[in-house]
Amino acid sequence: MHVIKRNTQIWEELAAWCFLGPAVVLLLVFVVAPFVMSVILSFTNHRLVSPLPTKFIGFTNYSRLFQDVSFWQAFKNTGLFAAIVVPMQSGLALLLALLVNRRFSGIYFFRGIYFMPVVIPMVVVSVVWYFLLMYPEGLLNAVVRVISLGKAGPYDWLRSPSLALPTIILVSIWQGVGFQMTVYLAGLQNIPHELYEAARIDGASAWQQFLHITLPGLRNTHIFVLVTTTILAFKLFTQVEVLTQGGPLGTTNTLVRYIYVVGYRELRVGYASAASVIFIVIVLVISLIQRLLLREEREVT
Amino acid sequence: MLKFSFCGVLIALLGVWALAQAPVEITVWWHTGQVAELEVITALVEEFNASQNEIRVRLVNIPEAEYTAQVRAAGLAGKLPDLLDLDGPTMANFVWNGWLIPLDPYVSDELRADLLPSIIAQGTYPPDGKLYAIGMVDSGLAIWGNRNYLERAGVRIPAGVDDAWTLNEFEDALKKLAALPEVEWPLDLKLGYGIGEWYTYGFSPIIQAFGGDLINRTTWRAQGTLDGIASVLGMTLFQHWIKEGWVVPASAGDDAFYGKKTAALAWVGHWMYGPHSQGLGEDLVLIPMPKLGAGCRAATGMGTWCWGITSTSKHPEAAWKFLEYLLKPENILRFVAANGAVPGRKSAIAQSELYGPDGKLRVFAEQLLTIAVPRPVHPAYPVITSAFAEAVQNIMAGADVYEELHKAAIKIDQDIEENAGYPPFGG
Repeated sequence: MHVIKRNTQIWEELAAWCFLGPAVVLLLVFVVAPFVMSVILSFTNHRLVSPLPTKFIGFTNYSRLFQDVSFWQAFKNTGLFAAIVVPMQSGLALLLALLVNRRFSGIYFFRGIYFMPVVIPMVVVSVVWYFLLMYPEGLLNAVVRVISLGKAGPYDWLRSPSLALPTIILVSIWQGVGFQMTVYLAGLQNIPHELYEAARIDGASAWQQFLHITLPGLRNTHIFVLVTTTILAFKLFTQVEVLTQGGPLGTTNTLVRYIYVVGYRELRVGYASAASVIFIVIVLVISLIQRLLLREEREVT
Repeated sequence: MLKFSFCGVLIALLGVWALAQAPVEITVWWHTGQVAELEVITALVEEFNASQNEIRVRLVNIPEAEYTAQVRAAGLAGKLPDLLDLDGPTMANFVWNGWLIPLDPYVSDELRADLLPSIIAQGTYPPDGKLYAIGMVDSGLAIWGNRNYLERAGVRIPAGVDDAWTLNEFEDALKKLAALPEVEWPLDLKLGYGIGEWYTYGFSPIIQAFGGDLINRTTWRAQGTLDGIASVLGMTLFQHWIKEGWVVPASAGDDAFYGKKTAALAWVGHWMYGPHSQGLGEDLVLIPMPKLGAGCRAATGMGTWCWGITSTSKHPEAAWKFLEYLLKPENILRFVAANGAVPGRKSAIAQSELYGPDGKLRVFAEQLLTIAVPRPVHPAYPVITSAFAEAVQNIMAGADVYEELHKAAIKIDQDIEENAGYPPFGG
């Protein structure tokens, strides 16, 4: 009996490693190794291409980065973007999920419509929006003119320092919200109907039902949506590269785009590596904070 | 038995003959941007392959946006093709990395004398004075005008480089054109092309007209030149045009000049000849770059995609044979018909309908022989252009001109310092 148990244990362990293996190898090759390399490169003057030998230059890259105004501006923009997009996109996604979580004919049509932008590649979405946002004759400006009876606009959405980042935020939410909506929809459908029935018998209003059944029932969904949306927000690149290229006055530049430009256009791989190390540390700290907060919530359950 | 060995000898002989006759295969890389250009290059490759048995050219098309990055990756991996086309200003960096070989041993005196001086200037590497790249064509940058608008506004149309507009005349023209009811913005500077090579190619002539430059071309330092008084003056003027509302906004689309006709002038290169002549027909005029500078100087851009043979090529002679074929005047002219560029050889210019004595685009050729300034032929060019383009973008949006140029200059000098001055430069 004892021996058999041991045998199955070994087999189970082996199976576990077999399942883990491919993922571990891929993670090592594509995540851990590049990270270790960028830490090493960040202390050198390594160039993308150069006949000169790479030299260790200590903390020069880091001390330059801390004085680099463009880097800190990109940092601030990325943080601001995440701080606005994460709550707005999640909130809107929940609202849409509540709307389409009903039974009436044609509901699949609406679910499809809201989800469609997610399926379209971001580059295509950005190009289409580029035309909608044209100045002074774009569609959006025409809409603004009609609604305001000709009093407002036209606005140069992408080239005005005060409007460019809000515009990027708008486009990003429009494109991404369908994904979180689907996740919330799945979460909503997991909440047992009996709870709502019981609440109605007790005389709870719709708002009370939402507050005391729907929201707590979605706790795990919230966690997932929050974490993924935050990570996606920090990866902001495509829409900026297509629509504004970081301008005007650097108001839409992001950390990922900054690293890309320094590393690939200016060939300064060492410096770009230092920037990515700082970027990784920031994202890591935020993820840790999120985990700490969310773990507490789990303990409550 | 005898018969058998006879057969064997025959087969062996045939084998040797076939080996001797087997064509040398060379790989050629081409950046695919414009369809019309690609069609001509493809046709030229096919015709070259059909015309002889010794060399087979294999053409590989790579999208323009990622082209230079691909070349760098291939250079790193030692997998460059035999012959490749490259954007003029990237040449110095490629030569510095040891990826290209000098073409001087192949170029005949006759060919060298026939090439446009601007082609030689852009293709010559300063440290050794050798020629590493030759373009079939050169580029042209001038101002395209709508004759109808210019005449109605009472603006003089200059005939050639000598009687180009002065700064006062140019700004006066902008004011008069802005007053026409159809004109929303008198000048299209193609700001919509976005941050990239256009900003350097299109707007560094403004600072050069004032005597400034992207970098000092003897000391190879940017500070004191790019942020010097002449360059600041030039970019202040550029910012002034935008602040006056004379310039088509970046988000207004590409066709303000040739489609919607809400712009009267377009400050852009030869590559817009197709759309411009379709849109304006007989109303299209080409105006030389204005004499903006204090001493009544004008400047314009030059340099475009050109050809280089790689140091890893096993068949440089075969690569040269194909390049020589491309450089035949009749083939250059076919290429010119596709993109409107300036023919790279004087003999081709003489035969060209567009560039001959009464040609519509003669101004481009005239400018190349007189006022064109090559972009710095220096391995730091990727940083130079990226830093300047970023400064232009910020100046466009209203930033302090000196601050921006100073920031760019520091960035360039820092890069050169990090590379120990890019030896043998600066040594």
